[in-house]
Amino acid sequence: MPRGGRLIRIEQFLRLAALLAAYGAFISFSLLAPGAAAQAPPATPPAKLSPPDLEAGKALFQQNCVNCHGLDATGEEGPSLHGIPAALGDTAVANIIRRGIPGTGMPSSYTITEQDAANIVGWLRSLDSAPAAAVVGDPKKGEAVYASSGCSACHMIDGVGGNIGPDLSRIGAQRGPVNLKARLTDPASNLPKPVGGFVSGGGVTEYLMFRAVEKDGHATEGMRVAEDSFSIVLKDAQGKLHGFRKPDLAKLEKEPGKSFMPSFKDTLSATQMDDLIAYLSTLRAAQ
Amino acid sequence: MKNRAIASLATVIVIAFALASAAPRLTAQGVTYDQLLHADQTPQDWLMYGGNYSSQRFSRLALINRENVHLLKPAWIYQPAHLGEAPVEASAVVTGGIMYITEPPSTVTALDARLGTKIWSWTPKLPEKLYTIGVHRSNRGVAVYGNTVYVGTLDAHLVALDAATGQVRWNTHVDDNGKGYAMTAAPRVINGKVIVGISGGDVDIRGYIDAYDAKTGKRLWRSFTIPAPGEPGSETWGKDMTGIGGGGTWGTGSYDPELSLLYWGTGNPAPDYNGSLRPGDNLYTNCVLALDADTGKMKWYFQFTPHDTHDWDSIQVPVLFDATVGGKPRKLLAVANRNGFYYVLDRTNGQFVAGTPFVTETWAKGLDKNGRPILNADTEPTPKGTLNFPDGHGGTNWNSPSYSPLTKMFYVSSREISAYTVSGKDRVDFPGFGGGGRITLGGDDAYGAVRALDAVTGKRIWEYKLLAPTEVSTLSTAGGLVFSASDEGNFFALDASTGKLLWDFKVGGSETGANFVTYELRGKQYVIAASGNAFVAFSLP
Repeated sequence: MPRGGRLIRIEQFLRLAALLAAYGAFISFSLLAPGAAAQAPPATPPAKLSPPDLEAGKALFQQNCVNCHGLDATGEEGPSLHGIPAALGDTAVANIIRRGIPGTGMPSSYTITEQDAANIVGWLRSLDSAPAAAVVGDPKKGEAVYASSGCSACHMIDGVGGNIGPDLSRIGAQRGPVNLKARLTDPASNLPKPVGGFVSGGGVTEYLMFRAVEKDGHATEGMRVAEDSFSIVLKDAQGKLHGFRKPDLAKLEKEPGKSFMPSFKDTLSATQMDDLIAYLSTLRAAQ
Repeated sequence: MKNRAIASLATVIVIAFALASAAPRLTAQGVTYDQLLHADQTPQDWLMYGGNYSSQRFSRLALINRENVHLLKPAWIYQPAHLGEAPVEASAVVTGGIMYITEPPSTVTALDARLGTKIWSWTPKLPEKLYTIGVHRSNRGVAVYGNTVYVGTLDAHLVALDAATGQVRWNTHVDDNGKGYAMTAAPRVINGKVIVGISGGDVDIRGYIDAYDAKTGKRLWRSFTIPAPGEPGSETWGKDMTGIGGGGTWGTGSYDPELSLLYWGTGNPAPDYNGSLRPGDNLYTNCVLALDADTGKMKWYFQFTPHDTHDWDSIQVPVLFDATVGGKPRKLLAVANRNGFYYVLDRTNGQFVAGTPFVTETWAKGLDKNGRPILNADTEPTPKGTLNFPDGHGGTNWNSPSYSPLTKMFYVSSREISAYTVSGKDRVDFPGFGGGGRITLGGDDAYGAVRALDAVTGKRIWEYKLLAPTEVSTLSTAGGLVFSASDEGNFFALDASTGKLLWDFKVGGSETGANFVTYELRGKQYVIAASGNAFVAFSLP
């Protein structure tokens, strides 16, 4: 059975459905219906494609996809596509681009060739990390640097470690080496701005420090883990959570430029830094 | 003996029915045109989209008021059986103790308005392939007239349902969904006619407003929002109109029965962001149109954003009110527009009366004496992108504002947010081609607010700030309250005069987009919030 046969497609659809549900919706339950895969167009034999042309892919994306997925693929009416090729595989995403997803707003397009789709997927993949830079260190040694530098007190990898800073199980897929270095040397100035987030429009700074002062003068400093118009939840340096109703606070101040994470600029040698980055770059757990 | 027992049983039943006078019931004639004309006088019902024909969304109910609103508690929660792709977005209609709502994508449901219990649901069979580029797969509500409920479906059918049972009375195919036509807006019913708009203006449809016979579903008139080649206005589109279009009418309009005029907003031209193939003003996109209710003939138009390249649809419901301007009584029409300006027009002739930004905007220096924007330089989208306030979703979106005849204020959910708008190719043969796109700058600097404007001048009187830019409605009441919501799922009440927070409740849900309504049953006032996948009714204990 050629790749792209029925069984594989069912699996792909189920994975896609689970993933998009995790991304926060836009998918109808009809996808999960047993008959859904039967409606997919016939499989095409694997074609010999050139390596993806990222510029062409970007141009095609801007012509065809931006109305729903946003110019930077962070989502508009449709979902964000960041991380989708890494999660589903290039072939599955290329097939979706050409065939659409029945029962959803995702249309099919037979004017997009397989090469076009591959170009788009290539460009989407390029969004997942900062521009490629050579990883020069030794990941094995880097793992030892990670262990001896106290990183695991705050960070989790594959379920092991603290839960104060971000989970690093997929950090190698999410950030390139240049980006990782910036965050290790000056964490407070490089707080992540994720796609989506809890405020519409996205890009709200994660791990931003706040100082909340209650009406009796009691002050709490911590990172924002959740916020709405009437409440905020902060996590302190011990990982303890503090929830406040904003109308009950005397003062609530943002503290940009602060972070619980120390800079490793002066505490690690250049080689240790390279090794640590090399190790972090290997962390690419499946979503 | 037996007969007497039956007779006394019958008496008990009659008394029981009499006592349960507020139980759901339908009168033989249902909702009359006279009732609709005087909707303000029966605030115990919420008879139509916008609350009245002027779409003021003001209720004379005052059982819930400034003094007791802090005691407000959930009375019931209704959750649709099937979760759609989009959140619930319906503005409820309440009459005779029954609430008619819609659920995504195109389901109509009747609830007992006191209990939240479902009475019936009707779900159309939608085609497997639905064409909904730029269209939320949700529905914004029904119209009720006589004993019939009217709904537009995503596949562009207008359907009449028996209000008691949900059975289909007629089903009219309005247009071809395969070409991008879809229906999401609540119909507007006037004397014997059902007036509807159409969605799909982000693709090259030719928008229109239709009137159908309420009894038969037969089309009475159609008024296009884009002229045919050669017709007046076609000169504002360049030479060739192939592949361009738009002018969707995906909101609900208002109605002045004395002038016999319908007022309906129109959406953006397509392709959205690259206007090079459509040089000119692109009439009648981004307008409010005044149509003769009997014939559909355009009496006047006012264009808010000529030659739009930022996706600033002008389908916000026009709010009608009367006021004294410069010592003279005027019949006015107000729109807080997606382009960031608040406009006041004379609704008899479309003449510009006043206009001022109600949010940060950077694309125009202001409005000239006719209300036309005076453009700033270099605000058109370019391949690299140009940064402007507001973003594509605008200073406010489709969610309805409110006008209080008590405070004479206009309450509008406002968005402070910018975006880079980028132009792409001018034409590609692809469904949903937009000619470019935008990168919205959200982040920590963007925010939302409920703003109270002087309805005649647009001058800001107060604001209540919110974390994120909001796409929600406002509802004002004679209890001195304004109800609104945050984008993060907080539902709250403000003092209508000062904007002071009086009560809030976390209803949850990522989008609190539906238009809130209020009504009264058995001496209790209810307020409905709709958020995420739920309708939540609040009342005093």
